[in-house]
Amino acid sequence: MKLFPVMAVVGAAAVAAAHYLTFIVAPMERTMGAAQRIFYFHVPSAWLCYLGFILGFVGSIVYLYNRKAKADAFALAAVEVGLCFGLIVLLTGPLWARAAWGVWWKWEPRLTSMALLFLIFAAYWVLRSFGGRGEGVRRFAAVLAVFGAPNILFVHVAVKKWRGDHPDMVVSNGLTSDMRLALYPSLLALLIVFFLLLHLRYRAHRDALTVQAIRRRLARLRGI
Amino acid sequence: MSGAAPGYVAILSAVLVKDLRAELRSKETLATMGLFGLVMTFILAFGFTADPATNRRVIPGALWIALLFAGTLGVGRTFAREAKDDAFSALILSPAPRSAVLLAKMIVNFCLSLSVMVLVTPLLAIMLRVDLLPSLGPIMLMLALGAGGFAVVGTPLAVMAVNARFAEVLLPMVVFPMVSPVLIGGVKGTSVILGTTFGDDGVGGWIQLMLAFDVAFGVGGLFLFERMVTE
Repeated sequence: MKLFPVMAVVGAAAVAAAHYLTFIVAPMERTMGAAQRIFYFHVPSAWLCYLGFILGFVGSIVYLYNRKAKADAFALAAVEVGLCFGLIVLLTGPLWARAAWGVWWKWEPRLTSMALLFLIFAAYWVLRSFGGRGEGVRRFAAVLAVFGAPNILFVHVAVKKWRGDHPDMVVSNGLTSDMRLALYPSLLALLIVFFLLLHLRYRAHRDALTVQAIRRRLARLRGI
Repeated sequence: MSGAAPGYVAILSAVLVKDLRAELRSKETLATMGLFGLVMTFILAFGFTADPATNRRVIPGALWIALLFAGTLGVGRTFAREAKDDAFSALILSPAPRSAVLLAKMIVNFCLSLSVMVLVTPLLAIMLRVDLLPSLGPIMLMLALGAGGFAVVGTPLAVMAVNARFAEVLLPMVVFPMVSPVLIGGVKGTSVILGTTFGDDGVGGWIQLMLAFDVAFGVGGLFLFERMVTE
C-alpha cells in the first residue's frame, strides 16, 4: 500500500519527462516532420499492449489449471490494460500513417496483426463485461485468451504472405541517438503507468470478488 | 456392457454416429444452414454481380464469407441439442475421454459446413457466371481446409459459449477474428487457383498455412478440452 503512492508520483514525473524529451529534446525528423514524434508513444504502447495480452494469456492458462479466482482477476486486469495501450496504438498509428504514407490505413502485416489481436481481446473484454459473471464465463474467456494469443503467429504469417510486397517497417535502425534518448525513457514511463494500472484493476477485481462473497454470506445470515 | 471399457475410437465413433444420425433424422441444422446458405448466395450475388472479369475476382470472397456465416450458424447449434435434458452433463460425467467427444463434435461441424458449401458453391458459380468446373477439386480442398479450421476453433468456443449471456451474438464476434488466418488463406488461395492473383509460391503455401492452422488448433483444443469443462 505504501509503494503505490510513491510509484504514482514517480510515474507522473516520468510521463512528464517523457513528454519533454519527445517534444523538446528529440530532433525533428527530416521527411516526416513533427508527426514522427508520435513514434515515441506509439512504439512503447505497442510493446506494452503485447505485454498486457501476454500476461492475460499466462493468467488464463494458470486459471484453467488451478481455477483460482485470483488468476482470472489478474488475466482480466492485464487484458484491460493491454487494450488501453492497444487503443493508443490504433489511434496514433493512422495519424502517423497519414503523415508518412499519405493514407490512414495500410494492410501492413504488423498493423493488421495488431488490429486483429486487439479485436480478439476486445471480444474477451466484451464477454467479461456483458456475458455474465459466472464461473463458466470466466472459463470461456480464459479459453479465448489461450487460443487468441498464439493465433497471432498465424495472422502475422497470413497477412505477410498476403501483402508480401510491402517492406517491413524498420523502426530500430535508422534512429539517431537523440531519438533513442526519447524512446527508452518514454518506454520506462509508460511501463510504470502500465504496472500502476494493472495493480489498480487487479485490486478492483479482487475487491469485487470479496464484496460478492460478503453479499452471499449476508444473504445466508438473513435467512432469505 | 462387456467388462472392458470401450476404446477412444469406439467412443469417438459412437458420439459421431449418434450426432449424424440425429441430424439426418431431424435435418434441423442442415435445413437451416442450407436455407441460410441459399439466402446468402442471393445476397452476395446482389452485392457483387458485375462484369465477368470482376465476378471472377470477387467469387473467392463471396464463397468464403458464405462458409464463415453458415459455419457460425452450425457451430452455435452443436451443443444446443445436448443442452436439452442436460444431456451434455451426462456426456461429461461419463468416463469417456472428453477429447473424444469434442473431436466427434468437430467432425460433425466440419461435415455440416462442408455440405452447405457443396450446395452454395455451384449456386454462386451459376449466379455470378464463373466457370468453376475446371478447378473444382482444388477449390473444394481449400474449402474443406477452411471448414476444418472453422470447426476446430469454433467447436470448443461454442461449448464454452453456452455459459454466457448473449451467446449467439458473442460467438461470431469471438470466432471471426480467430479464424481470420484461414479466411485470408482461403480467399487468396482460391484466387490463385482461379488465376486472378499470382502468388510467388502458388497455392501450395496457402494450403500449408491452413493445414498448419487446422492441426495446431485441433491438437491444442483437444489437449486443453479436459481443462475447459469440469462440472
